[in-house]
Amino acid sequence: MNESIDSRLRWLIELVLISKSERRGGPLEFGLFIELSVPRPWAADSERRVYENALEQVRLADELGFDYVWAVEHHFLEEYSHCSAPDLFLTACAMQTSRIRVGHGVVACVPQYQSPIRVAERAAVLDILSGGRLELGTGRSATWTELGGFRANADETRKTWDEFVRVIPKMWTNERFSWKGRAFSMPERAVLPKPIQRPHPRMWVAVTSPGTELDAADRGLGCLGLSPGGFEESERKVQTYRQHIQNCDPVGEIVNDKVHTVNFLSCSHDADHARKAGLRVASIFSYMASQLLSAKEVLPTRSYPSAGLLPALRREAGGPGDAAKAFRGVTMGDPDDVAAALRQWESVGYDGINFIVNFMEVLPQQYVLDSMRLFAEEVLPRFKDAPGPAAAVVGAG
Amino acid sequence: MPLAGSMDVGPLLADAPTVRLDERALHLDGVEILQVIYEIGASDVGALLPPALNPTVPPVVNVLAYRAAESPFGPFSLVQVRVIARAAVRPRAFLVSARCDNPAAGESLAGSWGYRVAPASIAMHRFHDRIECEVVAERRPILAVALVDPEPITGHDIQYAPGMHLAHVSGEGGSRPRLVQVETEYEFHRADRGRPELATFDPSAWGDTRLVPVEPVSASFTTCAVTITPVRYVCNPDLPAAEGTEHVGAS
Repeated sequence: MNESIDSRLRWLIELVLISKSERRGGPLEFGLFIELSVPRPWAADSERRVYENALEQVRLADELGFDYVWAVEHHFLEEYSHCSAPDLFLTACAMQTSRIRVGHGVVACVPQYQSPIRVAERAAVLDILSGGRLELGTGRSATWTELGGFRANADETRKTWDEFVRVIPKMWTNERFSWKGRAFSMPERAVLPKPIQRPHPRMWVAVTSPGTELDAADRGLGCLGLSPGGFEESERKVQTYRQHIQNCDPVGEIVNDKVHTVNFLSCSHDADHARKAGLRVASIFSYMASQLLSAKEVLPTRSYPSAGLLPALRREAGGPGDAAKAFRGVTMGDPDDVAAALRQWESVGYDGINFIVNFMEVLPQQYVLDSMRLFAEEVLPRFKDAPGPAAAVVGAG
Repeated sequence: MPLAGSMDVGPLLADAPTVRLDERALHLDGVEILQVIYEIGASDVGALLPPALNPTVPPVVNVLAYRAAESPFGPFSLVQVRVIARAAVRPRAFLVSARCDNPAAGESLAGSWGYRVAPASIAMHRFHDRIECEVVAERRPILAVALVDPEPITGHDIQYAPGMHLAHVSGEGGSRPRLVQVETEYEFHRADRGRPELATFDPSAWGDTRLVPVEPVSASFTTCAVTITPVRYVCNPDLPAAEGTEHVGAS
């Protein structure tokens, strides 16, 4: 009896949320968010196993109708992420799939890590090899672990990120390009190859710190949310972003006004089991992220006014197994639970949700794949009445 | 799972202070604080911390020097050497040892908050181009650090991690070995940052020869009012903090 009332209530809530979200238009998009975390103890094949599992998840996501796979760029983050060459990983993804879009989530726009020339070149190659499926997320790192490892100047990363996002689309669209700037300079050269999407691939910004959504909006860049947050806070962020982007000064030739966020996916007909499994992933993710040394923690700099992802995670999680402090709005449970949570995020105004499906290999790969399959069978169709995400136009030559 | 502390706390407990938890707070006006952070060698970093704590990646040592012009004990200086760590997901700093130039202040800090204090001569000098701190114990220099080329910032740009002090906590039924969580409130009047410089650091004098600073991270200097607040939490040093943390006063 109770279950039936609960189910009818949930149906009603969904209906209300659907009618609210439909005013905004466009079906919700879904992606995988890949960190490539490798738990200790490390054996000779530990990293390869994690990479192979991730590739298997991506192949399945492609078959099931997920829209995106995003790969982070991190350096030196022991266990947390061994994804230091995401362009290579994403190329492997592209070669093993046919339709899923491949996204940098995000490439580090720090000159000590790499020149913007190399970012533009490698991204263009990935766009070509993927048949025009590239999404380029940009960011600047938030840990001393990474910034200190490259001896990068933390005071400068916000300014140099700005320079990167302004020059990369010009390198793609101008036959030849020259530049005299703060982070780098170059005489006139043709930056080759050019991407095949026209006018160029969509660009995004990683949003973890408050206010970064305005940096994205002002430049006409998509908002790639990487931290969990409450509905109210998220709704405010999305609304502010949408207001600001109306008057943006685009850095490229297209405006990307999409707003995505991350969540944890664990879907099973046994809702209790799914929640427990998903919370294990969420808890270990928060726990591992919290061990990193944020720039804000050890550097007195205004360039990092907050510690990015970490404070949000510390607020939300107490430690491994701390299921009592579950994130609000987590996409875990049976298909109805997951759909209801997604409707809530959709009503906040998000265009897409990118899922962390496993972390530190705490869940068996078979469970992860089954969870994705069930999501695709019973949840995804509720959101996919309209066509999938539009790419920039793939041009000829 | 992340690396965890693997220190055998037994030897440290042999001469750890005994803390009687009470409602006492210590308020200090006109305090100058020099903080210098260096990376330390990462091999066997777990041995620098008790099992309750996790090392950061990379591990860093935190030199925290206070000069208090006034206090209930008269003027005093206190220099702490701490390893930045995590208690579950929270940033904390494990106190390796401290030096104090005022015996009465040292005794109070040890008895109420578990500061592991030894005597030393401490000098802090402020120049326009640098701020220095020197510690001499048994007629040997054991620390000489400096902030070079200070530039003004705001106090909000600086973070001081709460301390975790290994001590015997006395109460009904005897004393128990615990990490005492020491929280401090700051009201900033002025703040500077600059380049860290470490001319002398004697790890053995600070209690752990494995503590070797290798890579400069940052230096900051503040003038502020400081309140060391009553202890709210203690933690079993041999259990992960998520399991071993106890609220003071909870049965």
